[in-house]
Amino acid sequence: MATTSNSLAEAISALQRRYGTAAVRRGGDPVPAEAWPTGLPVLDGLIPRGGLPVGRLTLLSDGERSPGGPGATGRLTLLQALLAIASRSMQVAYVDLRGSLDPGYLADHGADLDACLVVRPPGGAIGPGLAMARTLVRAGVPWVGVAFPSGGGDRPAPWEHPLTALGEAAWAARAVLCIAVPAPLPAPLAYASSLTLGCSPIGWQEAHGDVVGLRVRLGVDKSRVGAPGTSAAVLLRYPRPHAVGEVVGLPALVTAAAPAPVALDDPAADLDTARRHTGTSGARDVPALAG
Amino acid sequence: MARVLCARFPHLGLLAVWRHHPELRAEPVVVGGAPELRLPVIAASPAAEAAGVRPGQQLRQAQQACPAAVFVALDEAGVERLRAAVVEALCGVSPAIEVGDEEAFADLSGSHAVHPSEGAWAAAGARAAAAALGEAPAVGVGGSRFVARMAARASAPHRVRRVREGEEAAFLAPLPLRLFPADPAVLARLATLGLDCAGAVAGLAPADLQRQFGREGLAIHRLARGIDGDGIHAWAPPRTMAERLVLDGAVANLEALRFCARRITDTLGSRLQSGALAAGTLGLALEQDGGPSGTACGSGTNGGVRAGIPTSIRVLPVPAGNAGELWPAVLGLLGEARPTAPVSALRLEAGRLSAGSGRQVDLWRAGDAGRDAVARSVVRLQDRFGQDTVVRARLALDPGDLPERRFVWEAPAGAAGGGRGGGRP
Repeated sequence: MATTSNSLAEAISALQRRYGTAAVRRGGDPVPAEAWPTGLPVLDGLIPRGGLPVGRLTLLSDGERSPGGPGATGRLTLLQALLAIASRSMQVAYVDLRGSLDPGYLADHGADLDACLVVRPPGGAIGPGLAMARTLVRAGVPWVGVAFPSGGGDRPAPWEHPLTALGEAAWAARAVLCIAVPAPLPAPLAYASSLTLGCSPIGWQEAHGDVVGLRVRLGVDKSRVGAPGTSAAVLLRYPRPHAVGEVVGLPALVTAAAPAPVALDDPAADLDTARRHTGTSGARDVPALAG
Repeated sequence: MARVLCARFPHLGLLAVWRHHPELRAEPVVVGGAPELRLPVIAASPAAEAAGVRPGQQLRQAQQACPAAVFVALDEAGVERLRAAVVEALCGVSPAIEVGDEEAFADLSGSHAVHPSEGAWAAAGARAAAAALGEAPAVGVGGSRFVARMAARASAPHRVRRVREGEEAAFLAPLPLRLFPADPAVLARLATLGLDCAGAVAGLAPADLQRQFGREGLAIHRLARGIDGDGIHAWAPPRTMAERLVLDGAVANLEALRFCARRITDTLGSRLQSGALAAGTLGLALEQDGGPSGTACGSGTNGGVRAGIPTSIRVLPVPAGNAGELWPAVLGLLGEARPTAPVSALRLEAGRLSAGSGRQVDLWRAGDAGRDAVARSVVRLQDRFGQDTVVRARLALDPGDLPERRFVWEAPAGAAGGGRGGGRP
């Protein structure tokens, strides 16, 4: 028996030497994932462990779109809102692969621009952009957001290696790594993600005939740090002349992976459901939905 | 409350002589030159002073006072080496130091993490100076420069004489006034009035002294009470430090140039490290083969001219104090260089030198070290991918009507430029 055990250990050691330590590993208790609380009750209640996983990759992707609904899904707004929150307490980096960042919009979300490094790789190249993000993570930037361009899903991914290296650097440095990527989800990102939040637009939030926000249903499409399947509705309130942008929970639309039957026309039942599944009051502010 | 350490030791010129000729340690030695020269005595050994030789008198007089003395010229290089050794030794003990020919001062104000008490701190300073000089100094500690100096005079080699706070006047009271750094005429007039010690002067009213002797009288009164408040005239590091490497043959291969640049960077980094210095700017000049005085390449937008040779100069994001911190900047300068002819020599110059050892990252403000690392990484990325690839946005003060004028892109300012950092999720 001892001989068999020794042979197995030698074989595992040889495989790890040849293919890396991640190629073969023993099962056991999973490493507990630390979380970075976003400070948004609805989001922290939705995500397993109460925040974005630290040292892992979080994806903000497009969810299902209803025909005739808004064309936007709000994933970039959500990414920038999270980045703004992080910038108030730490240095952050925003890798702008789309070349569409408006720093004023970041500032309108309450970001501390002095704490924000903006990385704009030449030509918006994904590989160099991810490599630059990796360098910053290794240097100690604890929060990195990446805005992925569209149209990368059906092509070969020459940036797979930089993505892997970035993930390893984030794991080693215990950094939060959040990538907003449009549909279709590139396979390397889908595989590397520890938490994937799908953003499905519900409708525009209007006031006095103006669009003031976007109602989005966030769903945990994939999670390696807890059970997937939960979802919640949020309002991405756009910045206004004298008010910053914010993310507000909409408890009336919270659902769960294995929900108890809830009558959507019963507000009290909806609020209870929200409290049950989020562990919080569900939102700071419940706006009156228009339309 | 300021605290000053004073270490008294034999004149550095004398120590330099003893270092080369230990057999003269017990002999009468006069430093200044040959006795026939019309020059003053710079330093004299205890045996020569016992024979009546005094610093400042003519060498000829010194010879008459002590015919058996050995007369030697001042070894200026040896003195500078000793001075540099004392500076380096004391830099590791105190943030502000001053080194003279016969005494050194160090600031002991506040507290030290390693040496919890003032006595231990002073003893560490004494040990450091002794190790650098090869001679144990007499050390005194007081509330001002003058009190510390007097305490050192009252001390002995291997001893530390501390004058505690509030005891300055009592300590100075029995000292003769001739030790005071004051106008000899005023001191002589005080002596004729029977005021020949500090205690007698300290007992007078300052207004009376001012009426009789003006500002000089007030200064003497303050000295006698030990409240002169004079501190350390801190040693200032040299402003630049340079290394030049002449290649055996002209080199056109960039990889070979990189190898040579690494070598010269290591040398300069070692010098910075040994001097406890950090460079704020870095310049690189590649002297090209072909011209009589050599030409250089790499003068970019921020270039300058040093000794007739254009030099590419870069302001470092954070001060660099060793080869590892210098190297990314050197690589960037090399990348900017466009040699049009084989290079015959490299010159690397570190500017805006500051005291590197006094910079204790993460001590007062958490995240300093992280900010420095990020700033260096940003510079590396900008070198590799372009200056516009890593930027920081700043909202414009006067944006005007155009939305695109709401902000301006600017290069990250590095550690000194603020920016929150260091927080961890």
